[in-house]
Amino acid sequence: MSGSRLLALPARVGASLLSLADQVGGMTLLLSQALKRLVPPRVDRYELVRNLHRMGVQSVPIVMATAAFTGAIMVIQAAPLVERFNAREFVGWGASFVTFREVGPLLIALMFNGRVGANNAAELGTMVVTEQVDGLRALAIDPIGYLVMPRIIAMVVMIFMLTILGDGVALIGSIITGDLLLDVDPRTFLASAIPMLGPWDVIAGLIKSAIFGLMIAVTSCYFGLATRGGAPGVGRSVNASVVAAATGIFVADYLSTFVLG
Amino acid sequence: MIRVQDLSVSFRSPVLDGVNLHAPPASILALVGPGASGKSVLLKSVAGLLRPDRGDVFVDGVSLADKDEPGLAEVRKGIGMLFQNYALFDYLTVGENVAFPLRRLFDLPEEEIQARVSERLERVSLPGFEDRIPRSLSGGQKKRVGIARATVARAPILLYDDPTAGLDPVTSQKIYDLIKGEQREQRGCVVMISSDVAGVLTIADRVAMLHRGKLVFEGSADEAKTSVDPLVRQFIHGLVEGPL
Amino acid sequence: MTEASATLVDSGPSALGRLMAPVSAGVNDIAGLFRLLGRTLTLISQGKREQGALLEQMYIIGNRSLVFMCITMGFIGAIITFQSAVQSQRLLPDLTMLGATFIKLLVRDMAASLGAMPLATRVGAGIAAEIGSMVVTDQVDALRMCAADPVDYLVVPRFIAATIMGTAVLIIAGAVAILSGMVIANGVFDVNFHTYLNFSMVTLGDVGLGVTKMVAFCAAIAIISAQRGLSTFGGSEGVGTATTRAVVGSSFAIIVLNFFISGLGYFFVPS
Repeated sequence: MSGSRLLALPARVGASLLSLADQVGGMTLLLSQALKRLVPPRVDRYELVRNLHRMGVQSVPIVMATAAFTGAIMVIQAAPLVERFNAREFVGWGASFVTFREVGPLLIALMFNGRVGANNAAELGTMVVTEQVDGLRALAIDPIGYLVMPRIIAMVVMIFMLTILGDGVALIGSIITGDLLLDVDPRTFLASAIPMLGPWDVIAGLIKSAIFGLMIAVTSCYFGLATRGGAPGVGRSVNASVVAAATGIFVADYLSTFVLG
Repeated sequence: MIRVQDLSVSFRSPVLDGVNLHAPPASILALVGPGASGKSVLLKSVAGLLRPDRGDVFVDGVSLADKDEPGLAEVRKGIGMLFQNYALFDYLTVGENVAFPLRRLFDLPEEEIQARVSERLERVSLPGFEDRIPRSLSGGQKKRVGIARATVARAPILLYDDPTAGLDPVTSQKIYDLIKGEQREQRGCVVMISSDVAGVLTIADRVAMLHRGKLVFEGSADEAKTSVDPLVRQFIHGLVEGPL
Repeated sequence: MTEASATLVDSGPSALGRLMAPVSAGVNDIAGLFRLLGRTLTLISQGKREQGALLEQMYIIGNRSLVFMCITMGFIGAIITFQSAVQSQRLLPDLTMLGATFIKLLVRDMAASLGAMPLATRVGAGIAAEIGSMVVTDQVDALRMCAADPVDYLVVPRFIAATIMGTAVLIIAGAVAILSGMVIANGVFDVNFHTYLNFSMVTLGDVGLGVTKMVAFCAAIAIISAQRGLSTFGGSEGVGTATTRAVVGSSFAIIVLNFFISGLGYFFVPS
């Protein structure tokens, strides 16, 4: 009795490590299978266009709203420090650097994960539990080329574009807040932002975004396709997918900060 | 006992359209009809779980239309319900599931609750299942736990949503016998939906048939079997030819 | 000509309607959320609660999010320390205030706002999926048959548990962020632990503002996710949609609330 309780904790740790290894392995396998279909490209054209529209266009309002508030919050948070060190000429640079390089890609990715990633896992999960995926196989349609590839491409492309849009909107949010809250003239703001902000800062942020997009895409496809057990199963998959992708985003963020820095 | 008056419900499209129905006390009313004809919605409306767009339901003479949620809860104390997909609470054991209505609705001593739970589980041929979890049961077993939970509070009105769906003929017959036996003892009012028309006609006193949200037939079981209405005839006898 | 003007007149209201539809849906949505919040708070004030259910939810929510949040905030602390050190070196080579500034920002804002986003993913999705699958499998109706009010029975314990445990987890995760920042500052930039662990810039106002944010964000996550769960309809796809709406809704609410609370904080909680 006490022996089994003694072993309970290591056994649980071991079990979760095994399932983690299983999931990471499954995702890697899925990614490699998807990559194989890139040369020569075997992607369903119609599905690709449909997903680009669905995932990209419909996320525009939420990304714009997120970005505008984020830009504003960056300035509000910096305000006490700016006043303390009397550093008004650095507001533009500071706010836009943090937004472009770190917070913008991160928050947009978390939003994209919640909206598009969760949706994707739910849709694929529903297709699995209602045997639609088996139906595709029975028609000799390759589920990876037909379902997975278009979604991965659409997510990577769209998060990239949405981040460009979000960066722009966040910058406007910062400029307006800086003007209203700290009396930083928009010209002063841009004069500090533009010369100090290298193109690399913007590009590094966008590269990060694309990596986050790939992360979300592979995770949500993997968990969606791994769904078992009816309606509660779909709920569980969506849950697992969003959480795993969020963890993945933070880990990827950490690694890419050092690699791209 | 239950009177449905000009009941209309719509979600995005109309589901029930001006249904009038009467379920007398001490009888079994079978509610039949093709899929998506509004049977489950009608049953949920009788329990006050759905707000109709128009019309009213009277339970024992009490109108549901002007009741708020606490008022409805009072009416529901007199109703036991089996849901289509059992609706067992998956975070509770079988025993706690069956005990749930007793704990929520009455203030009973613990021994009495336990006694009534095990009496119910024996009655549905699942003795000693108290500590099992719903997930570990088969479909037929879950149905029977659902029946135990619906009947444990000895409510005078029982609503069953397709108690034999997806079950084999032997298990189905056992469930029919159980429902009929219970109803005889309690002299209660039972409304049951069934997709197994032949089976339900063996125990039902009255039959009502819904088609596309409208009531197309109401009468005794014998009248249903001998009806000349082409719609009813085709459905009751399972004919291929006909208006359906 | 007449035909063209007729279509113009025709499309007028529908175009306006199309434009206004999301706005009125949004207003309805927010009104619904406040109604649920009101009901929940009323029921809490009436104080008839099942202790068992509350403790169980506190355990589930705390247990579900603690490790995950410590990992994410650990990475956040390292990333932000690294970036701000690299950038501030461009202006002045002195890194003695690095820790003090970072800790101030973390207490005042980031422990709450950056922490609440992943917390919404974890806790919000969990609440919505749980309540949502109870709705589509008729368990919520079965509760109502037994005079168990779903708000009282399902929402209240989750609301209290998520607010208390969420705030506690965010505080712990914030501490982890400070530790990981300290390790990076020491390992990469040779700032010693003592210099880094400098709380001199943190005021009581900062702590109050930070904790207020945490409580507000956690309460928002709980109410929005519960509402999304309760309004689930239509089978397995419905549960998926409810989960998605819970995560997006709570994340967005966190950003908007942060904007307002930070704005008020700037004017009323001087640093």
